[in-house]
Amino acid sequence: MTAADDIAPRGNLAARFAEFRDTAKRDHLLWVVLALGPIFALFCIIRVYPILETIRLSFYRYHPTQRNRPFVGLENYYRLLEDDSFRTALTNTLQFCVMAVVITLTLAFLVAVLLRSIEKAAPIYELLLYIPVVTPWVPASVIWKWIFDPIHGILNYGLDAVGLPKLAWLQDEHVIIYAIVLVSVWKMLGYFVVVYGVGLRNIPDELLEAAELDGATAWQRLIYIVIPMMKPIILFTVIIATIIFFNVFAPVYVLTASAQGAPAYDFKVVIGEIYQNAFVFYRMGYAGAQSVALLVFVLMLVMIQFALFREKRGR
Amino acid sequence: MFKERPIVIIAYVVCTVMAALAVIPFFWVLMTALKPDPEINAWPPHVLPIAPTLEHFYRILGEENFLRYILNSLIIALCSMTAILFTSSLAGFIFAKYKFPGRGILFAVILATAIIPLEVYIIPLYLMVFGVRMMNSYVALVFPFVIMTFGVFFMRQVIMAIPDELLEAARIDGANEFWIYVRVVLALSKSGLMALGVFAFSEAWANFIWPLVVVTSKDMYTTELGLATYQRQFFIEYGPISAGAVISILPMLIVFALLRSHIMKGIATSGLRG
Repeated sequence: MTAADDIAPRGNLAARFAEFRDTAKRDHLLWVVLALGPIFALFCIIRVYPILETIRLSFYRYHPTQRNRPFVGLENYYRLLEDDSFRTALTNTLQFCVMAVVITLTLAFLVAVLLRSIEKAAPIYELLLYIPVVTPWVPASVIWKWIFDPIHGILNYGLDAVGLPKLAWLQDEHVIIYAIVLVSVWKMLGYFVVVYGVGLRNIPDELLEAAELDGATAWQRLIYIVIPMMKPIILFTVIIATIIFFNVFAPVYVLTASAQGAPAYDFKVVIGEIYQNAFVFYRMGYAGAQSVALLVFVLMLVMIQFALFREKRGR
Repeated sequence: MFKERPIVIIAYVVCTVMAALAVIPFFWVLMTALKPDPEINAWPPHVLPIAPTLEHFYRILGEENFLRYILNSLIIALCSMTAILFTSSLAGFIFAKYKFPGRGILFAVILATAIIPLEVYIIPLYLMVFGVRMMNSYVALVFPFVIMTFGVFFMRQVIMAIPDELLEAARIDGANEFWIYVRVVLALSKSGLMALGVFAFSEAWANFIWPLVVVTSKDMYTTELGLATYQRQFFIEYGPISAGAVISILPMLIVFALLRSHIMKGIATSGLRG
């Protein structure tokens, strides 16, 4: 081969071309390009480009119908730091998110563990708990809006019946967050019950039986066997749930105040702020900076997840 | 897992309560939708309607044109589902069964976008649609939902399980690659396609913020958008609002009831969300 190289470089080129053509044909490169190319292009147009463009926009003052779109450097970010309603939205969203994640996942874990004790009936319960999951957020929130109604709502009727004071669920600025948490937990619980169920079923029975023979109580088995073995799944669900709940918007849109003056407190969340700035006021550069803040938050979560997984594998 | 008697009893009690809490709001909204107006505002509220009526359904379907919204949602969800099934299975097939330079990088680029929610990059998407003057069209409504990162990943997993010998055998019989994709790969990954299809359909159906942003006239409303707008405008009219909620949940429930085993299997194998 090397001897041939020295003697006839041009022939070598031809040979290499022929070789490339053969591999290309063997590996069906033309087909790969034709099949994957357009799909990959779609990914670039619909995902990669918009993500990068969001970052670029955040350095401009940008109105979709105005020609003048000056570069403003970090101005949008400085503004973000001073924007009271964004700060409120951020605190609200974080508070909501922490509550919703903790309550949903704790309840889901509890229910999933208990379902393993009644294995035969479990599929029916899982199915019933899954109905809210397949219900879209808008009708789910609409259903609850009527339940939360301060005068005619069934929830206040219940409170009244057991002698508790009625609450202005959606009108009181301190209560509305719990109302939205309630809807969100109700909606997402079933999904996490099923996910935990899958993980719990993968824990070998022998392990638990052995512990039981050694005299471990149910509580000890839960703490020392079940929870440690479920750690990766718990971590996964924390990340997923945090991202889902941090992006809360539809229930807020449905349950809070509206331009037409539906009586409710105007509970601000991050996505709501982005929506308002971008599509109501058309301050797209500024909304872009808010989106970048959201992007950074999501990426941080993903990095935490990666770091924890790596640590786990290292051990 | 825990067979102690008290735990089993607690399990039945807790799970029954949770399942009841999950279902009761649906029952309640259905009852509200069937009650005539005076009964809706009756205090104390009674559970079953005394004089059940369909007037609210007539109102929401007739006057509010909810049928049109449902049709729009159906068109969008079906188009999106078909497109996602096609793009995900084809890309999944290529990534699963072919060696080519740059495969790792391309796959990484696609995967990297998986976790980033639509809300992050919705502004440039909107500007693209705005720029080509496609606002308020089906194309605009479907366009962000013709691909799904998770779908590519999921179909790749499904197709990797198909033995290479089957593909080789088809090649020896003279089949070309497209034929293999259609006749071998698609045929052998039906249950994966089913699970992904249900997921894609419900994602497109349930999305709210995208239609809110690109739709400018009532005739292009989706069910979600129509319901959200209606309940903001006529917030006192709980009869028609409830009827609208019932109508917009129904298609999802039917899909779920028909395909529940596929959906549950999808979650079990990959954390697919419904």
